[in-house]
This record gives sequence, C-alpha cells and structure tokens, in this order.
Amino acid sequence: MTDSAQPRVFLVDDHELIRSGIRAEIASSVDIVGEADEVEAAIEMILERNPDVVLLDVHMPDGGGQAVLRAVGEQNTTTRFLALSVSDASVDVISVIRAGARGYVTKNISGPELVDAIYRIAAGDVVFSPRLAGFVLDAFSTGQDDQPNLAVDPDLDQLTARERQVLRLIARGYSYKDIAKELTISTKTVESHVSSVLRKLQLSSRYQLSHWASERHLN
Amino acid sequence: MSITTSSHAVVGTPLRPLRRGRDNCILGGVCGGFATRLGIKERNIRVIFALLTLVFGLGVLLYMTFWLVLTRSGEEHSIIQQIFQNRREAQIVLVAFIATLILVIALQSTGTQVSDGFGWPLLLSAFASFAIWRGASTDERNHLTDFFNSAPVIGGAFSKSRKGVVLRVAIGAGLVYFGLDQLNHLGGVWGSAGSALFGTAVLVIGVLVLFAPWWLQNVRELTSERRERVRIEERASMVAHLHDSVLQTLTLIERAAANEGDVVRLARNQERELRQWLFSPETRTNASTSFVGLVGAIEHDVENDYGVRVDLVTVGDCVPDDRVTTLVAAGREAAINAAKWSEAASVSIFTEVEPNSISIFVRDRGVGFDLDAIPADRQGIAMSIRQRMSQLGGEAFITTAVGDGTEVQLVMPRTT
Repeated sequence: MTDSAQPRVFLVDDHELIRSGIRAEIASSVDIVGEADEVEAAIEMILERNPDVVLLDVHMPDGGGQAVLRAVGEQNTTTRFLALSVSDASVDVISVIRAGARGYVTKNISGPELVDAIYRIAAGDVVFSPRLAGFVLDAFSTGQDDQPNLAVDPDLDQLTARERQVLRLIARGYSYKDIAKELTISTKTVESHVSSVLRKLQLSSRYQLSHWASERHLN
Repeated sequence: MSITTSSHAVVGTPLRPLRRGRDNCILGGVCGGFATRLGIKERNIRVIFALLTLVFGLGVLLYMTFWLVLTRSGEEHSIIQQIFQNRREAQIVLVAFIATLILVIALQSTGTQVSDGFGWPLLLSAFASFAIWRGASTDERNHLTDFFNSAPVIGGAFSKSRKGVVLRVAIGAGLVYFGLDQLNHLGGVWGSAGSALFGTAVLVIGVLVLFAPWWLQNVRELTSERRERVRIEERASMVAHLHDSVLQTLTLIERAAANEGDVVRLARNQERELRQWLFSPETRTNASTSFVGLVGAIEHDVENDYGVRVDLVTVGDCVPDDRVTTLVAAGREAAINAAKWSEAASVSIFTEVEPNSISIFVRDRGVGFDLDAIPADRQGIAMSIRQRMSQLGGEAFITTAVGDGTEVQLVMPRTT
C-alpha cells in the first residue's frame, strides 16, 4: 500500500503538538511507520520496525535523543537519525552529532525542507544546516593557536581547505547544488566532503569537541 | 509599618515608636534605634553601651535583650515574638537555654567561679546570640552573614577556603590550649584538671546522647528547607521572565491573529529573545561590546522592520573597533537591501572572524538583478557600501543575476 520509493520514517518527540505538526507536513511524502513519546518505547519500537530514518527530538526526559541514539546504534546500523530540536545551542548540536546522528535541523524548518532532508538522510547523505556548519567551523578553528602542544591527528582533528570551503558555503546559505556550481565540482563530491566532516566530527578526540559543552558554559 | 526609616532624627519631630534601625545599624541596630527615638547621635549611644559593658558586661547583656525584644524597623515582629510564633524554633531555643544552664552548673561544680565577673553575661550573651540567629528574619540573617563575613578574623574563619580552614584550626587549637591551661591552673596539678576534664567529657557525651537525634533531624529539616527555598526562588525568576516576555508575546499574537506577517514576526522575535536568554546569557548584558552582538542586532532589526526571516550564522567573535563597526554598518545596509528588494522570504547572514580579516556574507535567494543595469536608487546603496568599506581598507563584492538571488561579500582586514 505504500510507495516503495518513500522512506520509512519513525517519529520520536515527547510533544504531541510537535508530532502532529510534523506528521501533517510530511505524511504525504514519506511513509510514517510509527511514533514514540519516550526514550524507552522509542528504542524498542525502532529496533522492532527498523525504519530508514528516525526523526529524533534532542530534548526529552530520561536522557533525550542521545540515549536513543546510543541504544539503537549498538544493535542496528541501518537506521539513520536526523536530529530535530527547538534549540540550536552548540552543545546540543555537537553532542547529538557525536552520538551518531547524520544530520541536525531545527523545528522551525519548513515542511518541504524537512522532507528534502529526510530523503537525503535516507539516501545516505549528511544534512548540515547553516548553523551546524558554523558550529563545526568554530569547533575546528579555535584552539589551534592557544594549544600548540596538543597532539593533533591530522586525519581526524583538522579540516582540509576544501572541507572548510564547503562548510563556509553551507553557512552562507548555499544548497549542495549551489556549492557544486560555485566550486565547479559535482554534487556527489560536495556530499563526500560533508560526510568526511561528519566523520571527523564524530571520531575526533579534539579537546575542543569533547569539552565543547563545558567550555561554552564556562565562557 | 516602616516608620523609622530615616537615619537621623530631626529635632521637633513627633515621637516615634522604638524600633531597631535598619539603615543605621552595625549589628542589631539597637543603638541606631535609640538614636532615632531620642534624637541623640548614634555615636553617643554606642559609647554609653560600651561603657556599660565595663560593668560586668552589662552593656552587652542590655544590647542583647533589646535586640531580642525590639522590633526591627520595617518588620512586624520582634525576634522573641518570631521565636514563639514557631513551635519548633521555640523548642530549639528552650533547649539551648537549658543547655546553657547545665553548662553553668557544670562549670560551677568543677570549681570555676562563673558567677563572678564576666562569666554569666558571657554565657547569657552566647545564648542570646543563638536565639537571635534562630529568630531573625531572612533579611536580618543576610545582614548578619555579610557583617561576619566582612569582619577581619571571624570572616576568615567562616570562609571555606584553605586559608580560612587554617585560620579556624589555629584559633580553635589556641582556645583549646588556653582552656586546658586554665583548668590546669585551677587544680594546680594535672591530676585534678584530669578529673575535671573527665567530668566535662562525660557531661558533653551525655548531652550529645540526649539531644543528638533531635538536633540531627533539625539540621536535616533545615537543609531541605533551604533547598526548597532555592528551588522556589529559581522558579520565581523563571516565572517572572516567562511572564514578562512569553506571556506578553502570546497575548500579542492572539490579538494579531488575523495578520499572518505580524504573527510570524512576533513569534520569531520571541523565539530569538528566549533562545538568547536560555543559551547565551553572557551576551544579554554586553550586546554592544562584541562583534556577534552587533550582528545580532541586525538580525533583530531586519526581522522586526521588514518581516523577513534572517538566518544568522557566526563563527568567531572579537571586540569591535572602528573597522568592525563600519563593516557591521555595511552589512546592515546589505541585509536591509536584501529584505527590501529581493522578495525572498529569508536572508542568510554568515560572519567569520579570522586572525587577519573579518567577513560578512549576506545572501538571499530572491529575484536578483542585472549588475550592469542597476536602477539609480539601488546603485546609490551599492556605492555607499563599497565606499564605506574601501575607506578603511576593506572590500565589497556583489554577486547577482536576475532570478538567481544576490550575495554581498564584505571583507575587512584586521591588522594594519
């Protein structure tokens, strides 16, 4: 009964209003296979139904989106997560990406944009909002001068010039297509740059990333 | 209630009720109160009390009594009244009184002549201080805490720093040594001091056994009470903020429900404000002392004045100087241009502070225009942006095409 081309989407959010709002916006374009309003139920149902994409609320009681990411990520590697949040505090963004989400968007995203993001996540791409790109640039640029003695793994702890370029363009509001045109590379190449940034973000042991939260709070 | 709030009595003013002073107080405000009541200088009253203290500590005792009995200016009840209004406090103070009596009797029986000289007044004052502390209002307690914390020696002993602990241990050890020495003198030899010590120890243990459970319970209740109070205060400040901002906005939104543009504008405004309150409280006060703060103001103004969404992304921050303010002014003009002419629903602003330069990118996905055929009124703006930038060594680039949006890039070098 469902179109096989439509990604199977699972919705996790503890606010009924938000869930129904999102449902109304995306129901015609994707196949919603279930929703949950708490961490425990979400983990169980996601493992059972094995959706393509989980729209995950970052802030929930009992550990929030990160708890779901960790628990599901251990057992199921095919499901991909797109984090949704009302806040775009850098602490939330960075930590949810490091926990394994493939993208991060804020809840005031428009319906068509959200559907587009879901399709891209389902296809294996990474969804970086302009703001997320800004945070990443910030995280990878600070500290190089003030911590010269820190052991740096160039493969993980630094962005290449090209990756920086791509992130800057995302931050400036360019779509992947615009970026490809601007840099005269293919959209696939843009995507691979972004995926590589995501990998660095998740695997890097950079002080700036792991201590991002506490640092930001102290300042 | 607050009748004696002025700190100096004016000659010829009608009699005022005797209240402990609030503004003109050092400790309890007793002297200040008398000064206001009698129209005498506070200093004179203080000297009288000090002189009375020389007579077997009478001054201190009187002071303590007045402190307990007189109502503090601006408050409704005296400390004694407050104590007896609360059954638990009354119990505590009563027990403290009994403990004081036991101590006196115990000291008497070990041969110390408590009844002589300063012994009695000292113990009674100690008890009175305890009663005052228990019965004092929160405001007065705060005052006393401040007072003791700022006192030269005691303040140090109250603090939790390493220095404070050392000081406390030193003072405590000194007192213990002095006490032992005194006891030693009484018996002349350690032998009788030993039995006196033993007696005191037994007494202390006895009192502990009697009162410890009850005392512990009180302490526990007090901490949970304090925690509750902190929670209530936090909640109150949260409620106050939500009321001032969110509730007001919701009301405005209800009233503007017919006008979609207004609703969006109000909601965006509130969202931005609340987000700042929640996530970056440090920028709340110093919006004008940081580059990001200045750019944030552009976001705020453009959204408010033109009803266009602004997606602002900032990387890095710096302290504004002339160049930065010029850059921001040019950026503001570019953003306003985009909001006015592009017909796009949103404008993206990206700023980056690098070691050698600061850049602002303003981009819209609106109608765009043909750079070679700019209408005169818009050329002026483009020129003014370029001119401003170049005057201070910066550059401005405009990329646009009809139907393809517009991007303005502004780059300002940082070091000369």
